[in-house]
Amino acid sequence: MTTVPQTRAIATPARDSLRTPLLFLGMGVLLVLTGFLMGANYALLVVNMGLVSAIMALGVNLQWGFAGLFNIGVMGFLALGGLAAVLIAMPPVTEAWAAGGLRILLGLLLGAATVVLLVLLRMRMAPSRRRMAVMIAVGIAGFVLFRRVIDPGIVAVEAVTPAATGYLGGLGLPVLLAWPAGGLLAAGAAWLIGKTALGLRSDYLAIATLGIAEIILAVLKNEDWLARGVKNVIGIPRPVPREIDLQRSPDFVEQAARFGLNAVDASKIWVNLLYMLLILAVLGLVLLLSQLALKSPWGRMVRAIRDNEVAAEAMGKDVTARHLQIFVLGSAVIGIAGAIMVTLDGQLTPGSYQPLRYTFLIWVMVIVGGSGNNWGAILGGLLIWWLWVIVAPLGQLVFGSLATMMPEGSFMAQRLADAGEQMRLLTMGVVLLLVLRFSPRGLIPER
Amino acid sequence: MISEDPLRDDRGNRDLSITRPRDAIPMDPIVPTATQPATSVVNAFLVGEAMVGGYGRGPSILNGCTIAAEKGQIAVIVGPNGAGKSTAMKAIFGMLDLRQGSVRLNGEDITRLSPQDRVAKGMAFVPQTRNIFPSLTVQENLEMGAFLRKDDISRTMEQVYELFPILREKRRQPAGELSGGQRQQVAVGRALMTQPSVLMLDEPTAGVSPIVMDELFDRIIEIARTGITILMVEQNARQALEIADKGYVLVQGANAFSGTGKDLLADPQVRKSFLGG
Amino acid sequence: MDLLNALVVFLNFVFVPAVSYGAQLALGALGVTLIYGILRFSNFAHGDTMAFGTAITILCTFGLQALGITFGPLPTALLALPVGIVATALLLLGTDRVVYRFYRERKAAPVILVIVSMGVMFVMNGIVRFIIGVGDVTFADGARFLVSARGFQEWSGLEEGLAIRSSQAITVVTAAIAVALLFWFLNHTRTGKSMRAFSDNEDLALLSGINPERVVAITWIIVAALATTAGVLYGLDKSFKAFTYFQLLLPIFAAAIVGGLGNPLGAIAGGFVIAFSEVMLTYAWRKVVLYALPEGWAPDGLLQLMSTEYKFAVSFAILIIVLLFRPTGLFRGQSV
Repeated sequence: MTTVPQTRAIATPARDSLRTPLLFLGMGVLLVLTGFLMGANYALLVVNMGLVSAIMALGVNLQWGFAGLFNIGVMGFLALGGLAAVLIAMPPVTEAWAAGGLRILLGLLLGAATVVLLVLLRMRMAPSRRRMAVMIAVGIAGFVLFRRVIDPGIVAVEAVTPAATGYLGGLGLPVLLAWPAGGLLAAGAAWLIGKTALGLRSDYLAIATLGIAEIILAVLKNEDWLARGVKNVIGIPRPVPREIDLQRSPDFVEQAARFGLNAVDASKIWVNLLYMLLILAVLGLVLLLSQLALKSPWGRMVRAIRDNEVAAEAMGKDVTARHLQIFVLGSAVIGIAGAIMVTLDGQLTPGSYQPLRYTFLIWVMVIVGGSGNNWGAILGGLLIWWLWVIVAPLGQLVFGSLATMMPEGSFMAQRLADAGEQMRLLTMGVVLLLVLRFSPRGLIPER
Repeated sequence: MISEDPLRDDRGNRDLSITRPRDAIPMDPIVPTATQPATSVVNAFLVGEAMVGGYGRGPSILNGCTIAAEKGQIAVIVGPNGAGKSTAMKAIFGMLDLRQGSVRLNGEDITRLSPQDRVAKGMAFVPQTRNIFPSLTVQENLEMGAFLRKDDISRTMEQVYELFPILREKRRQPAGELSGGQRQQVAVGRALMTQPSVLMLDEPTAGVSPIVMDELFDRIIEIARTGITILMVEQNARQALEIADKGYVLVQGANAFSGTGKDLLADPQVRKSFLGG
Repeated sequence: MDLLNALVVFLNFVFVPAVSYGAQLALGALGVTLIYGILRFSNFAHGDTMAFGTAITILCTFGLQALGITFGPLPTALLALPVGIVATALLLLGTDRVVYRFYRERKAAPVILVIVSMGVMFVMNGIVRFIIGVGDVTFADGARFLVSARGFQEWSGLEEGLAIRSSQAITVVTAAIAVALLFWFLNHTRTGKSMRAFSDNEDLALLSGINPERVVAITWIIVAALATTAGVLYGLDKSFKAFTYFQLLLPIFAAAIVGGLGNPLGAIAGGFVIAFSEVMLTYAWRKVVLYALPEGWAPDGLLQLMSTEYKFAVSFAILIIVLLFRPTGLFRGQSV
């Protein structure tokens, strides 16, 4: 791999500096057009989720684009962020806490203590059969104790009005606090994972992170005491007013009428605009911080490591520590996005997390936007999300009309009627392959 | 800091693999050899004449050197580190593009042929490293050497076994499990399976003990006696020149001295500069 | 204390399911490991390749059934299997021609090829969902049991029954045949040997006149056969669902890596290691222990280490342990 020092950046022609604004302008035109065709509210929804996707893409870009870390466990970190929204914002379920909350906490502490003890043993004792035996014994004893303590607690908690709660609830704090908390939760998980798996080769790391994501999802789906599992947590408090309250407010109705809008439409648009401001604030902050970080000596070191790990290591750079830092940071950004997403939806539905949608789609955003370029990641997030949303109804339109030409209720007609939805995956794959082939650096390449 | 080709930019992942570009990346088309001096025609079985070339777009490593070997003779290239010895051999085998000069085999110009095509023309090459199939058995290594041949290969295999009797003993063992010297024998044996007219060896004695080295040189003499032309790059210059019919001393990609092995060994300047007195 | 009954329970709920699941994983892992050995990248589209082959086989099975053609006591899907294999082979060869070859010629970095395979994964996933939908499809027919629980009880006079479903027996037999054919091909034919040589040392293989494009094409064809067979066997044993096949990627990769990527023998061993660990760690051992221990000694509780939903955790944990302590896998994989 030949590296070309900074000369390239200096010699950037004017055409290239216009490229980014022009692409964003084009993206804006697409979104406005969508607004005209499908309604302003629909367009705002697309924009909001697009902006959240952009935050996710920034997180992945931090890891892949700048440090070359191949993390395909995005879904898991998103879900952890979502979990934070439940744990922070939902009111605590006092009966459940009384029934077995402390028992569960104690159990978790015991579990954690066992793991810590095992790590300590491994570090302190000399490698020998005896260490192996001690570690196995401690592990088994710890596991049995953990289950003995936690199992009755779980049963008791899950028995508390299972149709409505059956879980411990959250802290009842403002939901906006969940956003940083989501980042922290994801960062904590990333630290644990990074400690074990970051030394692995890239494709092993990929498989490992893929596995982690599945495990996190399995926990969310099955540990009902935590966040109700597949029974979902709904009605998560919102950081913005509810539409129905706005419609009841005479002030708001009057204001809306001044813009020539009826109260229902106006309330939806207003709420979405408020969300957009909040998300834009987060996006702006994340973008600013990552740009600053990457232009700092630390950022240059990270990229130097990416470009030539061996040389960086030889120069005395602590590659593993840098990788761990950036893995944790990137995952935190993804976790924040996960919390925002759940706040937007107002519910946590573990069953809806699928790797194709929440891991690989984010990757398409980063690659298409331009890995290694934050603006590219944002553009990719907006563009690919827009495409993802728009392809289904378009496909429906095309295939639906094809289906009407087939005999009613026939196999082909059924397939064609469903095809619109499947077009999404196909399109994303084709887009990714086309970009990789004809523009491997993405729409806005790294400078 | 971006690498030239986005597809090869593996973002720091050191996944070594064979798809990773290693040596010659054919990028430049061969420059017509108009500037070549017309006078220096050498007539030998294998000639690499006035060769100029380097890797990719990099600087030239070969600066007009000429290497020739007669049929059934042993030609040896020696010289200090970085003189372009291995590069010269790779150029003759077509593993990097020549900017000037030509390569001829038995009077035929093969400058533009790919290494594979040169194998078909009767050239065989034993690389310095990674020259065997480690998980294949010794016998399978030999079979793969003869992959292009459609005729019966059992006689050639028998000849290789006669040349290197230890290989017959170990023929069912994976080649990767053999000792360094035995691996070199497998490598040479594999190359011989194509029944080549030219055998090219890149530092065949690198990393083997002096006893094994002598043994290997004996075998190489034996191979040359069967009429196969041998071209060899060697670090152990003195020992190699002793068995050489023709020796080339390269310095900075150009011929510094050439002559018979004995002449070079006797030349005081060569002795002083390259053979340590 | 009744060791015989304990053994039967163990065989019935642990051994037989794990063996058939292990065989399915082994076939899947063989495909992954062959692609890694020859084309040098981890193919994330492998789960969807399996899904595609199975989907075609299912459609063909339904067609045969509609025509009234069945395979006697064996599942009709076995008759349709060759069609699925051929279709998958054509798809893979087409994909190679349109997608992968470009990167091969440009000598792209392996990690780029992995990302490319993600794109292929999306496309194949879309195609599979298009041709067969997202729902659960059951397509097993023929005899349901080779050994039924009641038949076994009557024959042995034991309290516990041992049931071997025909799909399990067919899985093991078919997998054994497939593996035997593969190893015969790799070890005893000129083409197979040239594939191993190519996997060992690509440059030297080129010098020896081995045609890389031919090796790659044959690899894809073999992978198509293995993936389709694995997918159909898994579908017969359980059921077909596009998403489940995508998720199989994790245990399959775990199997291939645990065995040593690029090493076919390792892939088979890895498949069984993963399958047995998964089944044994998620099985509730209460019944076995009740029989095996003297009366009153058995502890209460299900004696289940973790619930079946956490089977991914098993694949993952084994993967991490092996990678941390023996990075090249149990059998030496390619030394990359």
